[in-house]
Amino acid sequence: MAILEVNGLKKKFDDDEILKGISFSMEKGQTLSILGSSGSGKTTLLRCLNFLEVPDDGTISVNEDLLFFADNAKLTDVQIRKNRHHFGMVFQQFNLFPQYTALENVILAPKLEAKSKEEVNEIIERGKELLTKMGLSEKMDNYPHQLSGGQQQRVAIARALALSPDILCFDEPTSALDPELTGEVLKVIKELASQHTTMIIVTHEIGFAREVSDEIIFMDGGVIAEQGTPEQVIDNPSNERTKQFLANYLK
Amino acid sequence: MFTNVTISLLEGFFGTLKLFSLTLLFSLPLGLIISFGSMNKSSIVRLPIRFIIWIIRGTPLMLQLLIIFYGPGVFLGVNLWGSGDSGRFTAALVAFVINYACYFSEIFRGGIQSIPKGQYEAAAVLGLTKRQTFFKIVLFQVIKKIVPPISNEVITLVKDTSLARVIAFYEIIWEGERFIKSAGIIWPLFYTGVFYLVFSGLLTLLFGYIEKRLSYFK
Repeated sequence: MAILEVNGLKKKFDDDEILKGISFSMEKGQTLSILGSSGSGKTTLLRCLNFLEVPDDGTISVNEDLLFFADNAKLTDVQIRKNRHHFGMVFQQFNLFPQYTALENVILAPKLEAKSKEEVNEIIERGKELLTKMGLSEKMDNYPHQLSGGQQQRVAIARALALSPDILCFDEPTSALDPELTGEVLKVIKELASQHTTMIIVTHEIGFAREVSDEIIFMDGGVIAEQGTPEQVIDNPSNERTKQFLANYLK
Repeated sequence: MFTNVTISLLEGFFGTLKLFSLTLLFSLPLGLIISFGSMNKSSIVRLPIRFIIWIIRGTPLMLQLLIIFYGPGVFLGVNLWGSGDSGRFTAALVAFVINYACYFSEIFRGGIQSIPKGQYEAAAVLGLTKRQTFFKIVLFQVIKKIVPPISNEVITLVKDTSLARVIAFYEIIWEGERFIKSAGIIWPLFYTGVFYLVFSGLLTLLFGYIEKRLSYFK
């Protein structure tokens, strides 16, 4: 059974059609990477899944539960917030809350929903656990500006995981990092993949995508140009645009 | 003599302080409400608010004091403010609150709009409501950003209170000037400057302290 099913997703900004009908599905525990040049629509697709953008057409289902279809495009705030619980999002620019420590960033959202003191304590314990898993046990009480980009991004990953989403989304998680800091973030994502966390990763790191993904989607001009295993899409691309894109990257 | 003058001036300064503190008390929250109005998506709300801000910021406070104090009587034939000192005080307070609320609203607007979109998006994907996002995430960051410009306005307000004497509101300069007529000495008027200086000095220290307390994050 597919954990996520996307069908005919379309999105226009003014007269610019960014997504021209995207359909794909993914299985629980899989890692899906989305490649493509800038402007191909990959980030918009991810933002639609997280309801940061409202698609114009198409459907989104998680666990066979229809979250979005064009006729209910006017979702209420409550519905949107409920739908978002299925997804976690890690941003290119981390977007940590500067006035909170690493740990406070991680526990902020779950704590707002806690009903008892014990629950809060559990949330704090889990937050510490997650940060330790990210290799940040020493940095829990530091504020974001005291952390390196790589550390900030790992806090952001822990923050997204704290809500136990069905699907964790990454929007170019290493693009804002110095090359020497990308490794520590990619390592964490690899670990998550090995623990069968369901993930969708928009990335420019082709080598990383090949290593970590079960499935690759190559997007071009708002459509899926090619889809398959890393061996198919990256090693033996059949689409001309994919070949061109990969050739540019491997240069 | 010096002691007598000091005591008289302190009395006058009490009027200054009263106008100062009540203006702050009302204009800060009103300014926040006006800033929401000036950022409203609907132009039916936004444009009139922006128009009022333009009028208030585009004309002298002294003129606003005169219009607010004399306007109701001249144009409507009603004695809105009541008589005597309390009437003058109310009119002065209303003029100051409106004027400062408009200035504060622009500071709030600047502060709120300077918060990166990513903060709202991060809060949204974590499932925070709009209310939680404002109070838990945005507000504190806004406060940190607006402390320096607010402190500027507050210190300006200390001195602007002297404008209220144009409608015969009793404050420290009024008191200082009285000595020219009653005792033929002008130095008490100059001496009022010390009161302003000390008070704005204290405010500078206070705002410096607040800024320091908020410097733990960037």
